[in-house]
Amino acid sequence: MSNIVIILAVAAVLVLFVVSIYNRLVRLNVSVEEAFAQIEVQLKRRSDLIPNLVETVKGYASHESATFEKVVNARAKATTATTVADVAAADGAVTQALRGLLAVAEGYPDLKASTNFLALQEELSTTENKVSFARQFYNDNVRALNTAVKTIPTSFFAGMAKVSARTFYEVEDPQSRQAPTVKF
Amino acid sequence: MSEVSFRGMEASNKRKTYLLLAGMGALVWLVVYAALTYFGSATVGIVPIAVTIALISVWGSYYASDSIVLKMTGARELQESDNPKLFNLIHEVVIASGLPMPKVAVVVDTAPNAFATGRNPEHAVIAFTTGILDVMDRDQLQGVIAHEMSHVGNRDTLVSAVAATTAGAIAILSDMLTRMMWFSGGRRDDRDNNSNPVALIVSLVILILAPIAAMLLKSAVSRRREALADATAVSFTRNPAGLRSALEVLAADSTVVRQRSTAVAHIWIESPLDGKAVSRLFATHPPIEERIAALRAMESLGPVS
Repeated sequence: MSNIVIILAVAAVLVLFVVSIYNRLVRLNVSVEEAFAQIEVQLKRRSDLIPNLVETVKGYASHESATFEKVVNARAKATTATTVADVAAADGAVTQALRGLLAVAEGYPDLKASTNFLALQEELSTTENKVSFARQFYNDNVRALNTAVKTIPTSFFAGMAKVSARTFYEVEDPQSRQAPTVKF
Repeated sequence: MSEVSFRGMEASNKRKTYLLLAGMGALVWLVVYAALTYFGSATVGIVPIAVTIALISVWGSYYASDSIVLKMTGARELQESDNPKLFNLIHEVVIASGLPMPKVAVVVDTAPNAFATGRNPEHAVIAFTTGILDVMDRDQLQGVIAHEMSHVGNRDTLVSAVAATTAGAIAILSDMLTRMMWFSGGRRDDRDNNSNPVALIVSLVILILAPIAAMLLKSAVSRRREALADATAVSFTRNPAGLRSALEVLAADSTVVRQRSTAVAHIWIESPLDGKAVSRLFATHPPIEERIAALRAMESLGPVS
């Protein structure tokens, strides 16, 4: 009789152990997805700022068409990206193009003084920060997930939970990890 | 993982908190043991009474901490339209931390300071004095916000409520027992326990010193949580220089928040009791120079991804 009780107790503990590991893996996987969604939200925000920014700069520097084109093209490409690597690459391109645009703006004192531009500047720098924090948060979550997928005992249950290691969100240009230093 | 990195600092401060809380638990047992030795088993009933009283008195202020602290500090809640720049900064840290958006409040006071409270991240409030909003630049303010959000994420309202409950229970226990001692004019006559005189004296000393020891442990917990919040803040912003220069501004500033009550002194980023001759052992915050040095050490490690 007491043997049965002991066996049942051990079985119950084992089941609880497996369930908690399974749930942990699923939870980590979901947080990676949420973190990626957050990056996309912030990239969308930045993307929405671009037309306004381009218009404002155009008003003062209409002949810099090559720079505007670069920004608009990079933005268009970014809207079609879906995989982590593609989104990261497009993100890097937009960051690069925006940096070029702001460098152009440097040469126009009237533009830099305009209230519209000053408001955009705050919006842009906070959005750049949000994008880079969202990337960082995503990578932290990927790190936690990948550690769990690769270390014992969680690694034994990764297949069962249909969870596998994810790729980090890496922006190619090492400089673009930081927000562009905008000085007005 | 070096002790200097924010990950090492977070781990070591968390470990020390657990040790200190375990120490407080051990202290409770010590007091109970002393009471049993001195008064005999008749006093056992007092223990649950003391714990219950402490629990009730702390639980209310923990559960309603958001509204109570706002009232005690005279803070006013802000809307996004009141200060969009501040809200931008807070949004940034919210994204970096993955925590829900807290309520934001402002205290009209020229002394630069800030605090966080609330029973859980869903009921968190972070508050700033008008002084800190005026005097700090973007990076500094971001560091301060990250420090406050770290308190939210590390559940420091809960940790300090646990510490306060334990210290309170010990104080009540020791108070009741010392009173019993006076009223009964010494120990009772029930001799169902050992009457070893050394054990009696040790018990007496424990009963008298326990409340002070509990206060010291409670302050030590608070100091560990402050150091932990500094480390966690760096894990959010990856920019120790921002918080470091913010702390330097606070260290250089000699004005002090006009407190309505010292009961909430421990929740500010910089202790408003500074300058009063509080012994270092009873301080709720580590010395600000020490915090600055820890952050400087993190800066010297270079950028961490």
